[in-house]
Amino acid sequence: MSTDESQNLVTLSIDGREIKAKGGELLIEAAEKSGVFIPRFCYHNRLPQVGVCRMCLVEVKGPRGFSLQPSCYLPVSEGMEVITQSEKVKKAQDGVLEFLLINHPLDCPTCDKGGECPLQDQTLTYGPGESRFAEEKRHWEKPIAISELVFLDRERCIQCDRCTRFADVVAGDALIEFIGRGDHTEVNVFPDRPFSSYFSGNTVQICPVGALTAAPYRFKARPWDLSQVESSCMACSMGCRIMVQSSQNGLTRYLGLDSDSVNHGWLCDKGRFGFEAINSADRVTSPMIRKGDSFVETSWASALSLIGSKIVDAKASGDPSRIGIMLGSRLTNEDIYAWVKLAKGVIGTDSVDSQLGDGLRGEVIAALPRATVNEAVSAKAVLAFTGDIKEEIPVLFLRLREAIRNGRTKLVTVGTRSSSLDKLSEVSARVTPDQARLLAMEVTKDSSKFPEISAVLSKQGVGADGEGLVVLLGRENLAWDQSIVEAFALELSRSLPKAKFLITLRGSNFSGAVDLGGVPRLLPGRSSLETATPVLRQKWANLPAQGGRGAKEMFNAALRGELDLLFLVGSDPRQDYLDSELANSALDNVGFVVSVDTYLSRSSSSADLVLPAAAFAEKAGTTTNLEGRVFTVNQKVTSPGLCRPDWTIASEIALELEEDLGFGSAEDILDEIAEVSPLHWGLSWHRLTKSAALDGVVVPITATALSIRPRAMLDQISTPGIASVWNQGLPSSKTSYFDDGTIEEPGSASQPPAQASVASVEPIWPVAPVQPLGTMRLGYSRKLYGQGEHLMNSPHLSKLIVEAKCRISSKTAKELGAEMGDSLRVADKAGGESLFELEIDDSVGDGIVELIRGSFSNPGFSPVRSDEAVNYVKVERA
Amino acid sequence: MAVFDALGGFKVTIGQVFQPRVTKQYPEEKRKKPPRFHGRHVLNRYEDGSEKCIGCELCAGVCPAGCIYVRGKDNPPDAPVSPGERYGYVYEINFLRCIHCDLCVEACPTEAITETKVLEFSFTSRRDAIYTKKELVVNNDGTPKRLPWEDWRVGDDEFTSGWMRATSPQGSKDFEGRTHWSGELGEGVRKPEAGQSDLKSEDASPRYMIRKVEADRISKRHGGKVR
Repeated sequence: MSTDESQNLVTLSIDGREIKAKGGELLIEAAEKSGVFIPRFCYHNRLPQVGVCRMCLVEVKGPRGFSLQPSCYLPVSEGMEVITQSEKVKKAQDGVLEFLLINHPLDCPTCDKGGECPLQDQTLTYGPGESRFAEEKRHWEKPIAISELVFLDRERCIQCDRCTRFADVVAGDALIEFIGRGDHTEVNVFPDRPFSSYFSGNTVQICPVGALTAAPYRFKARPWDLSQVESSCMACSMGCRIMVQSSQNGLTRYLGLDSDSVNHGWLCDKGRFGFEAINSADRVTSPMIRKGDSFVETSWASALSLIGSKIVDAKASGDPSRIGIMLGSRLTNEDIYAWVKLAKGVIGTDSVDSQLGDGLRGEVIAALPRATVNEAVSAKAVLAFTGDIKEEIPVLFLRLREAIRNGRTKLVTVGTRSSSLDKLSEVSARVTPDQARLLAMEVTKDSSKFPEISAVLSKQGVGADGEGLVVLLGRENLAWDQSIVEAFALELSRSLPKAKFLITLRGSNFSGAVDLGGVPRLLPGRSSLETATPVLRQKWANLPAQGGRGAKEMFNAALRGELDLLFLVGSDPRQDYLDSELANSALDNVGFVVSVDTYLSRSSSSADLVLPAAAFAEKAGTTTNLEGRVFTVNQKVTSPGLCRPDWTIASEIALELEEDLGFGSAEDILDEIAEVSPLHWGLSWHRLTKSAALDGVVVPITATALSIRPRAMLDQISTPGIASVWNQGLPSSKTSYFDDGTIEEPGSASQPPAQASVASVEPIWPVAPVQPLGTMRLGYSRKLYGQGEHLMNSPHLSKLIVEAKCRISSKTAKELGAEMGDSLRVADKAGGESLFELEIDDSVGDGIVELIRGSFSNPGFSPVRSDEAVNYVKVERA
Repeated sequence: MAVFDALGGFKVTIGQVFQPRVTKQYPEEKRKKPPRFHGRHVLNRYEDGSEKCIGCELCAGVCPAGCIYVRGKDNPPDAPVSPGERYGYVYEINFLRCIHCDLCVEACPTEAITETKVLEFSFTSRRDAIYTKKELVVNNDGTPKRLPWEDWRVGDDEFTSGWMRATSPQGSKDFEGRTHWSGELGEGVRKPEAGQSDLKSEDASPRYMIRKVEADRISKRHGGKVR
């Protein structure tokens, strides 16, 4: 405890016991920390308090003696006297519960919440036991679907205001509200407007009754069937902490864990309901080899020996870079390390990439000083030059939104088009590629160039060296080459050396891939091929002599016939690579394609050999989120069929080459990572699971990361599902669910590595091509529910997949002579065409055509070309 | 007199010689089963034919042997299987594990599961020991399905263990004669047993008092203090 906090302590008495609490803290929280639980419904630690349910009434001494006051609405003060257990309090609790149950139906056996319901539990603990109400209860139509994912049963609602507060205050999608008065009060959506929020699943999680239930979990299991394990979501790079729950070896739901540093208990719907895809019947369950146009099932042994001989053949030509590996976002750190070790340590090829043209060069990411999410949301100012965060990393959007609403930071957005961040930002500047460069160099030097941005930065006290500034850096416009973003970042980091960067790329574990050498020219610990540590050289016998190819170069090499063998490990370039034409023609031209996949994706269904891989929740390991925080990912269910974790497949392939990668479990790999990678110094399975389980550990581990908050209480009413499952079979006093042990100081034998310098990375300023006549600049972006096997295999999420869309401003539409709903023909550079229904949207800049990524009516249409720095398309009325 | 003392020791034994024999020549000769006998389960229906089971899994949750597996599902709106939102679309009992304790019957909120008095049913494989809804759900007329390998006797399908529900949960005299939950629900229900309560009505206040009253009653019966 710091001295600031200890000075601010007040002393109060609860039930005659003296306790100390932070001044201004709510009484209900202070009581809970001192071990006195006050029942509650509407209070939630991550929502502003409203004090509507009156369940938390306690007696507080005032000038006229003791009176009942809501403890969730009362800050503690010096000398306060509180009684939480007296006849008066008991009577108030009895009354509140009897009142709530007047209209609450007794359909607990049917209700999904039954067994983990705060109303049920607290009625049993604090309730009167009997109702005097004999009249007919209020009736509403039983569950109405208010979105594809959420059902609303208004009979069960107790009007605690949690969902409506969440939707309005936290998510900013106030699509669910109270309607009516008195006993006719109901929660409902507006007519003809579904509850189509990306965060709707959170309202289900925090509902203290069964009024809001989730369609994917509806009637799937009861709480006492479930078992759970703590894990981290791998749907995007945020790495939200989740509880994975399953029943009968099938995943049933994910619940958000309240991690202070990451997700505050919230999840996006894509992450929360993505488990359905893992249960899908369309999983690849055995190795399959291509025979003509179809696949034939084969055994692991024959598949692996075939791969072994293909590797030997490809190496026989003398050039190991004829073998390439593309890693996908499914992989844990251990999987990445094993595959990279196979490629760079055994085979000797450096052609390993984990980004499909939608990322940034590994060297650039490694060189930029890294900010954590907590640093970003408390920075003096945040400069965003990134894709739409709400669409790509939704929970980071919630964190930012909360910080900006509470005035902790100010946001400046830079980009080609509007995004959901614009509503939160002080200034949003529209830039061209040239202006972006200028902005990077001049923003703090010459306030006349970008007066509005400079004004915000100086008002917020951002130093001339960038002190206090955090830059959110991602691919703002996918139609711009990554070199534009990289050059922007490098220039900015040179002119503002103290500015920190949070890389907001979407792919899960992209950060782990950069840290562990899953990109060309880097090795574990972000060292380059030349600066490999002696330990690494000893463990990795066959280090490549020269830098290898990234995804784009691998595809170009394939077109030239220089790629004999390509491994797609959880990677689907035909679907995900931006220049789909290049990916398709290149993959057709590779000698032999091995796909390690969970589904028959577009790429794996045209591969030569498909190996079944274990999906999320079917394997243990660790993952790294966008800020470099390492968390555990745990196994909950057994894989179907012959699926194996990706790292074991790499080990087996190495054995075919008569090399032993040297590990028998994910834990072994983590130990080896900690040994060879200076960045992962001090990391161990024990540290991740025992001590810092909830918040993970930011690598490199620093002294500040070692001080672990001793928070060990789980609010059973805030997170009903987690607590009820956790407490099964345990004594009722067990409220702590993770160890509050202190972390041991790591030995001082090794030191965290020095940060790579931005000066060592040369920016490549791309030359923007002159705009061809009759074309429009292309804006290209992704939606949360875009394409992808994961979404398509989830029965509920697949209904939400958005169609490819085309948006232009009204002025541009007038020039084209087109109106809303007209059909537009968009032609790419090579003449491939696709038809779109036009949406007019004035947030798109004039002269820009904005395409939303999705499946195009013409598969040959490929608006983004990998060899163009800036892409232009022709648009006309169809 | 040592001889008489010794004979005195045989008093009980000799007395038993003249008692009627208790041993029965099973299986040729069979005993009459007591009215509360716990045998093979049935899943009951309402008189309109809809199933009583709502798939709530309380039986599976309470089962000490872990022999029940239930999965619920949304009732199809055009042809509902049971009243309400939910029905049990998988219901399986593994009779190799079942100990016939009847806790499932006590837990059931809709009186869907009760036990008949059939105890003689045998299997030739483990798979056959798992009864599914096909075997457990009663016929349209409410009588249990008689499966070829089961030895049904007269009265085995009467008074299935609905008495559990017929007994007043509060043990209060006020409820005597009043069937809880499902007086009119058809098969599997019998009249409540009389004389279940000897309480004075002021003691029988259901509020807070149940356990205390119950404990006092037990202690009175044993002529002393239990606590």
